[in-house]
Amino acid sequence: MEPIVVAKNLTKSYTKGLRALDNVSLTVNQGKVLVVMGPSGSGKSTLIRTFNGLETFDKGELSILGIKVDSTHDERKIQKIRRRVGMVFQQFNLFPHLSILENITLAPVHVQKRRQIEAEEYGMYLLSQMGIDSHAKKYPSQLSGGEQQRVAIARALALKPKLLLFDEPTSALDPERITEVLDAMRRLAEQGMTMIVVTHEIGFAKDVSDQVLFMDSGKVIEKSPPNIFFSNARHERSRKFLNQLDKH
Amino acid sequence: MLKIYISSIKVFLKTLKKKLFSNLFNTIITLLIILFISVACFNTFEWLISQANWKVVISNLPLYAFGSYPPNEQWRPATWIISLLLLSIFTLCGPEWKWLRKNLLIIWVGTIPLGLYLLYGGFGLSPIMSRHWGGLTLTILLTVCSSLLSLPFGIVLALCRQSSLPLIQKLSSIYIDAMRAIPLIAVLFFGQLLIPLFLPVGIEIDRVWRAIFAFTLFVSAYIAEDIRGGLQSIPNTQIEAANSLGLNQYQIIQFILIPQALRIALPALTNQSIGLFQNTSLMAILGLVELLGVGRSILANPEFIGQYIEVYVWLACVYWMVCTIMAILARHLEQRMTINQANF
Ligand SMILES: Nc1ncnc2c1ncn2[C@@H]1O[C@H](COP(=O)(O)OP(=O)(O)O)[C@@H](O)[C@H]1O
Ligand SMILES: [Mg+2]
Repeated sequence: MEPIVVAKNLTKSYTKGLRALDNVSLTVNQGKVLVVMGPSGSGKSTLIRTFNGLETFDKGELSILGIKVDSTHDERKIQKIRRRVGMVFQQFNLFPHLSILENITLAPVHVQKRRQIEAEEYGMYLLSQMGIDSHAKKYPSQLSGGEQQRVAIARALALKPKLLLFDEPTSALDPERITEVLDAMRRLAEQGMTMIVVTHEIGFAKDVSDQVLFMDSGKVIEKSPPNIFFSNARHERSRKFLNQLDKH
Repeated sequence: MLKIYISSIKVFLKTLKKKLFSNLFNTIITLLIILFISVACFNTFEWLISQANWKVVISNLPLYAFGSYPPNEQWRPATWIISLLLLSIFTLCGPEWKWLRKNLLIIWVGTIPLGLYLLYGGFGLSPIMSRHWGGLTLTILLTVCSSLLSLPFGIVLALCRQSSLPLIQKLSSIYIDAMRAIPLIAVLFFGQLLIPLFLPVGIEIDRVWRAIFAFTLFVSAYIAEDIRGGLQSIPNTQIEAANSLGLNQYQIIQFILIPQALRIALPALTNQSIGLFQNTSLMAILGLVELLGVGRSILANPEFIGQYIEVYVWLACVYWMVCTIMAILARHLEQRMTINQANF
């Protein structure tokens, strides 16, 4: 088994003092799903954004798909990583001036230099996988939140990535729209996609994840398989957090 | 339908009565204003119909349209202006063929080389120097060439002003701020009088192009500010999403930032080009015989001396008409873009 992500002692502070990441080490192997949990402000977004170079870090070592990056943030290496790592954001971040299909074909055509027709065919295939191929000609603002997020997943898949990053993909959705997005993510996991998912959806984490990583104030507090984490968390801090989640 | 119409008129009359004749004071003021407006209208109509001598307009129509362009070649600028008009009508009410709508912008841009070819001649048409150009033709030519040149220049300036390189950022800020602090007429003077002094001997740019150049320098500074406003209102998350897809800096500018910024800045940009159209009249005092210049030269003719009211009323109508066409086209463009992108 190949490790896809290897992080050693990642440390980062935005301003002097408070650490957004504090000695974070982790490994994610091929085909595994890692769920990241933790209270707001604990550094979850910062962590997964370092994995595709949207954030830099101050100290430590990081290797993504065998490409090593360090605190110098080498632009060429970052670009190489971004071509193989997809990301899905909390607020979808679709391009409002492009149609759904154009959103999806933009990167394949201009980053991978694939032919327009080929990219459109693959884009339509991805949209049908997500169950939204009938919306291909529409614009993002004409779609519901759940549909937009599925378009965002299809857009991330268009570059045929080896790793998918999700930053709270269902937090901006109405409750009745959450399942359709989670179901799409489940199918991806079944197909063997390597994923790192920041989420508070316990059901999803229990069913799909191989490991749960719990963070607080930039530190990794606990990393356990889901059956242990949700029934018998090792740390006091994790148990408290899960209690609070249950109350909602 | 008719019923609704009548009842809404009744409501309208009632509100009129309530607002305009509610007490003695309001009634007197209302009556005075009505009296004043009627007298003004009556006098205007009387002047238009019985006193005005429209010969100064009617017998000089070709002059207003084409200036001193050789009469037997005037079909060339006429063709150009008529093709612009037809294209406008077509854009507004033409059929909804998809391939055609997609290429409409290219056709519009294509009217500029067409116009230049028709005016300059060559390649089978007899060449005609730019000093013979004039009238509405010249006004429109100044407007479209300067608008088209200042758009890319303005975009580049706006991007430079947002640049992370301090030198480029400072230089473009200084340029934009300086241009916005100088009156247009000064820039135009610079274009007409000083540019020839700066150019090396032997190189000569004719007056029309010097004017277009000066307008471009000026207008692009304003366009840059409009586009910068558009750029700043694009959320940073758009850039993050594009980055995470592996697009490089130039691709992000080309595919994500500029299209969105142009869409946001569109109303401001149409204002700029309508303003530019009106400001071309400043060239009349700098020696170009465009629409206003033609009017002035006609008034200098002893045959028409003193008929300046007729001439200026006529010119105002022409300016008004072209501006209205431009505004309608711009509104059409805006609507199309919002339909395409549904309240984006
Ligand atoms: N761009 C930023 N500038 C300064 N501080 C930031 C920035 N982004 C995040 N932080 C800080 O870093 C910490 C971790 O943030 P984040 O990774 O967004 O947490 P989470 O995603 O777990 O809610 C927080 O204390 C937050 O205030
Ligand atoms: Mg977050």
